Amino acid sequence: MNKIFKTFAVILLIYMLWPGSKGISDFKPLPDSAKSTLSGDTVQIPNVSAYFSYQFRNFVIPFYYKNFQEASHFPFPPLKLNHPPEYSWTVIKKPTDTTYLEEFIYPLRDSLYINGFENHHPDGSKVFYGSPELREDGKLWYTKTTLRLYTSNILVRILVWFGIVFSFIYISKLGRSILKE
Amino acid sequence: MNWLKNNLDRVLYILTLFLFAFIPLYPKFPLLNISGTYVAVRLEDLLIGLTLALWIWYLIINKNFSFFTKDNIGRSFILFFAIGCLSLFSGIFLTHSVVPHLGLLHLFRRIEFMLLLPVIATVFTTRKRFMTALMVLVMTLAAVNIFALGQKYLDWPVISTTNSEFAKGLPLKLTPGARVNSTFAGHYDLAVFLDMALILLTTLIFAFRKLIKPMFLILGVVSTLVLVMTAARVSFIAAFVGLIAALILSKKKKYLLLLVIIAMAIAVYPSQLRDRFISTVTINLLDLGQRYEGRNLNQQLENKLNIPTLYYRISSRSATGASFASPTAGIPIDIAPGEPINVTDLGVYRSFEIRLNIEWPRAVNAFLKNPFLGTGYASLGIATDNDFLRSLGEVGILGTTAFILVLLSIWKTIYKGIKSDEKIIRFFSAGSLSIIIVFLINSVFIDVFEASKVAALLWMILGLNIGLIRNK
Repeated sequence: MNKIFKTFAVILLIYMLWPGSKGISDFKPLPDSAKSTLSGDTVQIPNVSAYFSYQFRNFVIPFYYKNFQEASHFPFPPLKLNHPPEYSWTVIKKPTDTTYLEEFIYPLRDSLYINGFENHHPDGSKVFYGSPELREDGKLWYTKTTLRLYTSNILVRILVWFGIVFSFIYISKLGRSILKE
Repeated sequence: MNWLKNNLDRVLYILTLFLFAFIPLYPKFPLLNISGTYVAVRLEDLLIGLTLALWIWYLIINKNFSFFTKDNIGRSFILFFAIGCLSLFSGIFLTHSVVPHLGLLHLFRRIEFMLLLPVIATVFTTRKRFMTALMVLVMTLAAVNIFALGQKYLDWPVISTTNSEFAKGLPLKLTPGARVNSTFAGHYDLAVFLDMALILLTTLIFAFRKLIKPMFLILGVVSTLVLVMTAARVSFIAAFVGLIAALILSKKKKYLLLLVIIAMAIAVYPSQLRDRFISTVTINLLDLGQRYEGRNLNQQLENKLNIPTLYYRISSRSATGASFASPTAGIPIDIAPGEPINVTDLGVYRSFEIRLNIEWPRAVNAFLKNPFLGTGYASLGIATDNDFLRSLGEVGILGTTAFILVLLSIWKTIYKGIKSDEKIIRFFSAGSLSIIIVFLINSVFIDVFEASKVAALLWMILGLNIGLIRNK
């Protein structure tokens, strides 16, 4: 049991210290897209970038899923979480136009949020009444994809690792003591 | 100052005795608002804070920290708080899922409620003090019931915290069909309090002389009536299971049949509680009942959008026109296509859907983001309406295991009381253990360990029991 726990602790440490993505610049722009220069999409908020394009969710999600794994240098894919669109106001910025929000994450490390705003159908017709026009670079686009990357400091990860390992040890000791009582 | 130092034990006794009545009875008037949440600091928080400060001073004077160093309950408390701090640190700096001041507020709330256990166990060391606390609790229960009946039949004011507007402390009136909450600011909190009361009354009725029994019986009947008026389904089931456990632990199994008959009669008797039980089966489980189809084609199409509140407009309807149902049709005005038309069905449907589609998946996602430590206190918003998922989401496997150790160590200590020769210890211990069961059942649909009033009372009652056992 002791050996198994030690192995687990070492593997967890390696996983947590593994070099990951450094910033939003690690992520490629969507093909055939225009980078947003709107306020809030450039330098105002760290690690945010946005693209106007004709790409929809079924293309955008696999595209950045693969990109995130490559940027994280892991041989296994990240976890994919689907969030309610309104959560984008918390994790991207307030306000954010949105119709879907997904998160790719390597637990206890970094995560990348992908917020999509699809207010046009692929044929160019509007999805709902009053859909705003998505205009950038003098062109009219069908979707807007916003990315936000959350990274963590290596020192924080080491401290959290220590905390997890000590918690396991203390829980095990105390649990045995309570059961014996 | 010297006087206070010499009389600290007595001051703590009076203060905690006062808290036994003040916490359940004082409505949730906000005292200090916190930005980013409508959970406010209240007068009771200050009183509990003062009590905790005096208790720590008392421990320092007596140089007695054995609760935290030698006692398994105290050590499990420390472990739970430490993992809570680590989870908060990870939530702020690793998963970036916590607003620091809100996370700290929620951590302090848990520490505040839970530390009432050792405070009470330290202070209520004599039989006389224990009996006085029981007397205060009985009188408090009577007052809570009277106030609930007053709200229902005499239009007495209601202070609620069920939404951000109500939480400002405005005195409201119960609207027709609304459920009583007495002084608890939410009908579920009142129902859990009544669960606790019914269980203690049931077990203690066997411990007291004949003279007191009728009083407990009357109080029990009124409490049951008010519990039915809250129409809280899970709390009713929890009370039923808790009472079964209480009778078994009290070795009074012969009353089980009577309990089953009473519960069946209540479940069958026409009431909002019965209607909600029926709706649970027909709407949530069997997916039956008439649904709203939309007033026009626009509204039907809007429902197919992933954000159904957006306008679709295909033809003649004004863009600013209301998409809601007509109030004259007897259909709830804010109904959306696909929802049940009947008002009770609609309430039951939404109550379950919000859990199933919003709150519970949010907690599961939080757990997946950091299985060991969760995403930190306050990262899941105000409620998850399932304390097991909330715990896994907020503090992960480690925090949840530490909390299980807290409950396990308390259970093992109180369980010893069941074997006691003294009637009062035996029956009170049976009641306390059944209350833990009641809390666990309620936790499936309510964040009961975070519901300030009932959570504080739980730790106080458990502390009372532990004090009684350790000082017999």
